[in-house]
Amino acid sequence: MATEYTPHILGFLCNWCCYTAADSAGVGRYQYPPNLRVIRIMCTGRLDPSFPLEGLAGGADGIFVGGCHPGECHYQDGNYHALISASLVHEILKRIGIARERFLIDWASAAEGPNFVRIITAFTKQVTELGPLGKTEGKNQAELLRQLTEAAEAARGRKIRTGLINASRQMMKTKDFSRNTIATLVQDKCVKALDTWHEEAVTP
Amino acid sequence: MNIPAPSNQALSTSGAVMVVGGGVAGVQAALDQSALGYKVYLVEKSAAIGGVMARLDKTFPTNDCSLCILAPKLVEVGRDNNIEILTKSELLSLDGEPGSFTARVKKQPRYIDEEVCNGCGQCTLYCLKQIGDDYNEDLRTTHVAHIDYSQAVPTSYHIDPKTCLRLNYQTCGLCAVVCKANAIRFDDQEEILDIPVGAVVLAPGFGRISEEVLAKYGWGKFDDVLTAFEHERLMCASGPTDGEILRISDQKHPKKIAFLQCIGSRDETCGNNYCSSVCCMYAIKQATLAREHDPDVEITLFYIDVRTHGKGFDAARKRAVTENNFRVIYARPPQVEDVFDGGLLLTWADDSGKHHYEKFDLVVLSQGLEAPDDAEQLAAAAGIDLNHYQFAATNSYTPLATSRSGVYVIGAFQGPKDISDSVTQAGGVAGLCSGLLAPARNSETVAAIFPPERDIAGEEPRVGVFICHCGINIGGVVNVPGVRDYAGTLPNVVYATDNLYSCSQDTQAHLVKIINEHKLNRLVVAACTPRTHEPLFQATMREAGLNRSLFEMANIRDQCSWVHMHEKEAATDKAKDLVRMAAAKACLLTPLLEQELPVTPSALVVGGGLAGMTAALTIADQGFECTLIEREQRLGGRTMLLTQDRHGNNPRQAVKELGARVQRHPKIAVITRAKLSAISGYVGNFTSTVVVFDSDPTTDSKDNTVINHGVVVLATGGKPYVPDNFAYGESNRVLTQIDLEQRLDREKPLPANCRQVVMIQCVGSRGNDLSYCSRICCGQAVKNALRIKEISPKTQITVLYRDMRTYGFMEDDYRKARELGVIFTRYSPERPPVVTVSKGGRSKPVVKVFDPILGEELKRSTDLLILATGIEADDPTALTKLLKVPVTSDKFFLEAHVKLRPVDLAVDGVFVCGLAHSPKSIDESIAQAQAAAGRACQPLAKGSIIPEPIVSGVDADKCIGCGACEKFCPYKAIQLYKEDKRRKARTITASCKGCGVCAARCPTMAIDMGRFTYDAILSQIHAFNPQGA
Repeated sequence: MATEYTPHILGFLCNWCCYTAADSAGVGRYQYPPNLRVIRIMCTGRLDPSFPLEGLAGGADGIFVGGCHPGECHYQDGNYHALISASLVHEILKRIGIARERFLIDWASAAEGPNFVRIITAFTKQVTELGPLGKTEGKNQAELLRQLTEAAEAARGRKIRTGLINASRQMMKTKDFSRNTIATLVQDKCVKALDTWHEEAVTP
Repeated sequence: MNIPAPSNQALSTSGAVMVVGGGVAGVQAALDQSALGYKVYLVEKSAAIGGVMARLDKTFPTNDCSLCILAPKLVEVGRDNNIEILTKSELLSLDGEPGSFTARVKKQPRYIDEEVCNGCGQCTLYCLKQIGDDYNEDLRTTHVAHIDYSQAVPTSYHIDPKTCLRLNYQTCGLCAVVCKANAIRFDDQEEILDIPVGAVVLAPGFGRISEEVLAKYGWGKFDDVLTAFEHERLMCASGPTDGEILRISDQKHPKKIAFLQCIGSRDETCGNNYCSSVCCMYAIKQATLAREHDPDVEITLFYIDVRTHGKGFDAARKRAVTENNFRVIYARPPQVEDVFDGGLLLTWADDSGKHHYEKFDLVVLSQGLEAPDDAEQLAAAAGIDLNHYQFAATNSYTPLATSRSGVYVIGAFQGPKDISDSVTQAGGVAGLCSGLLAPARNSETVAAIFPPERDIAGEEPRVGVFICHCGINIGGVVNVPGVRDYAGTLPNVVYATDNLYSCSQDTQAHLVKIINEHKLNRLVVAACTPRTHEPLFQATMREAGLNRSLFEMANIRDQCSWVHMHEKEAATDKAKDLVRMAAAKACLLTPLLEQELPVTPSALVVGGGLAGMTAALTIADQGFECTLIEREQRLGGRTMLLTQDRHGNNPRQAVKELGARVQRHPKIAVITRAKLSAISGYVGNFTSTVVVFDSDPTTDSKDNTVINHGVVVLATGGKPYVPDNFAYGESNRVLTQIDLEQRLDREKPLPANCRQVVMIQCVGSRGNDLSYCSRICCGQAVKNALRIKEISPKTQITVLYRDMRTYGFMEDDYRKARELGVIFTRYSPERPPVVTVSKGGRSKPVVKVFDPILGEELKRSTDLLILATGIEADDPTALTKLLKVPVTSDKFFLEAHVKLRPVDLAVDGVFVCGLAHSPKSIDESIAQAQAAAGRACQPLAKGSIIPEPIVSGVDADKCIGCGACEKFCPYKAIQLYKEDKRRKARTITASCKGCGVCAARCPTMAIDMGRFTYDAILSQIHAFNPQGA
């Protein structure tokens, strides 16, 4: 065997909860694997759906998004909107054929340094097991990267984003924030746009 | 009479305050008072401010780097135009009245001109005479011409007149020859200054335990017996051994370290019967760090009682002890002896009387805190009274006021205490001085002026990267020079360097110089976390004429070196990646316009107990309107459950008087039976809806009141824990300490013929129900035991405890109780007392407990069984949802920083005090409430705020007017308007909080966020891959 594989993980942490939790893990000297690189954003609501796709396309083996616990968002409901973006990412990964376990959105409050460490340690282990992009998928890595790049472009496009607006609207109306409901909403509202993209980009 | 009538009070009041002592308490008091609009004279005896905290390596309970969190404050003081630092100075006398004192100060010469010295250090280099380095506890030497420590403020050298060859023997004088700045002044003279001030704050800190006491434990005789202060310096990267714990005798790493507690504390023989409150915790910190330095070192801690009663302390201690496998022994070895083959011998007796002896490589004496050596002199100069231990005398209900009106005391001189309590008191005293001098606010201050911002439009990015060693915090793990060299190779990086401490004042000056010299237009600092240090570096950028939005931080300490301590290479790689990503983002940062917004000059205080009422009064006294809302019909809160304090006063009376003052105050509006139901806005401009229930409790009709206010103080209190064990509720002979308080107030407090009373401590606390120590129960038990003894001296009292935590001067009561025959028996949590009561609970309860001294089970039938039940937080869920403020796992509000921002919450403009923060005593609650009030009034006194310009902006050309942003904005900060009949969105900057939901949802990507632009984040994402995208 060659040297042990260490995954590259990119994280988007909200300033108020998860980034603070990461800092407090440091202050408490709680140790975790050194694979994560963090981008600070004010709120996970800022997470553009194209960011995680760009991250994977740019060489990350896993993407972590960390925010405040549901109902505890510093900005009221940014983390729910993040769940909408995350559902789109998962849907796109599914269509490309990339393991959904490469993308995780989870929560740690400002006081939860050890919880943050637990999440990151588990996620790092999970991504390590998946191996480099394409391995567990049994696919050509270059081809996956190309499709991810195109997916990111599509996520910047008006059609998909309009679908997300409709999903967010529905979510705010029904106040049902369960992950499954949100995933169904996104699938439902973006189906046309995704089909169009999928036909053009994925099907050779 | 011909004498003109005295001008009115307002005109004669001074707008200046003198703070005596430049330790962390004094520094914080100075900053807080300056922020409230007062001129401050900061009088420091030594040549630099910083005090003891500047000498510490780390601070408990988080083991945060001490100087790293202090240095930004020192820099801020040095930079504040309204704070005048007088070093080598002391207060000689104080004449006049509150509001218009004249303070006479003697300022000793530095012999080096502070204004001219540029801190180059040539004088030290050439100085021929060496002296002990006091900053390093004389464990190494420095020169007569020196600076106390490298981050010292003022950043100026000075000459020790007692040892200088030139000043004493007219020889040498080399420093004057080599000083390029011509700053040496051998003819410098002592000055006497008469300074008019309105109030005086005494913050001289604490004194050291005498060498005589230390000598009893072999200090001075054996090289390897160290004081905790010496040990602290050995651990510190800037210390005499560059951060290695080495035995003085043989320069070897000790493998077995013993910590002896209560050196010079709880010790009648040296006159200090009080407990110094901080040593138990700092020993745990030092032990943990010693283990971090050397994972093989064996550590033993000798305690009388483990007193880790602060917020989060027990949890930190438990974790440290378990993770590091510390041995904790309840014993007090009486002395240290040497043995023939090296090593230090300790002998002790355990609970059962068995003797033990063992050899150690190093013994650390956890020395206590004493009153300052010159306490009497200072008291005479300021005209105040001292207590019997030479600390400043204060009263429980006015904890920060001395015996002289207008003169206040904070920090360790008020009583032994830790940093966060000192900082709290500093905030409190600022509130009090601000109240006293309110008519003269802003009368002696000047506004800060920054150079105009340089226009960087059209310039190519020129990024400067500064990598911080943070002593050994980063440098001990990450290869900092390697990261620096790597940074230099990154695109657009034109300058890269490393600093020992990036946050020190000299580094700030250096940063400004480098920015100008290299025409930098973007700055990246790779150090700790932007959450604490971004403002410091941004202020430096403003001084260099750069917009503060052109700044980016790479978090290579909290999120790198501290969490990958054993993976140096991987941590270095990570640091490189983070720097690369930060630099990539920095290139795309643009200057952002800052907007000044008006502030509603009033406050809302939630909770009408002791803390809330004190906060409201302290705010109103400063001249600001205040609304106090209380859930119950009456003000007073849970202090009303207490019937006597340890000095024999009636707390209920004090609270009633406070309530009357609150009700009378023209600036306070009290609303009872009221609840906060909604709040919106931001610091300076909150709008709250308060539901007011009908005063007749039988109806449930209610009304809504809307209040506009600038700040919020949360004083929602706590409640007594109600136990469900130890037969509570099964017999009327089983009471809580609170029940007992009520009973002791009655005519016949004790049952007839009351022979035996048993008290059980830590019921609920430190266990499964409440995981923390409730701090006050030990003191309360001792107080009530003494009350019972006074009523019925013959009653036998037994207190079953785990650790008696009668910290501070409460130790006097503990001693007195033992002298009066109260029996204290330690129980271990594994073998808790067992209580049985007969059915119906009429007969006496029987308590069984294992007595470790007798080594057998004791059985006591008791007339009364008293349970010390601890304090729970009042459920904060509703408020945390409304205000978006975090709480700890124990449901107390989580402060923004445990040491330095103890009453601020993470949300700007929201403050906390009293039991809602953590369990605490009456005097501590009052001081904290005054602190919350002092801090809360800062934006009100300023009159305006400048919000962070991280708001959203709409590109009207791209906007299609779909309205999604308006719909999803949680703050109604985006509005649609019509332009040429087409709908467009625009941001209301003042309302935007910068979450970015609008940007993430905009279908045409017409919205972008300040500092977190799409392109900047994308560039950061692309830089994630070292090969680039």
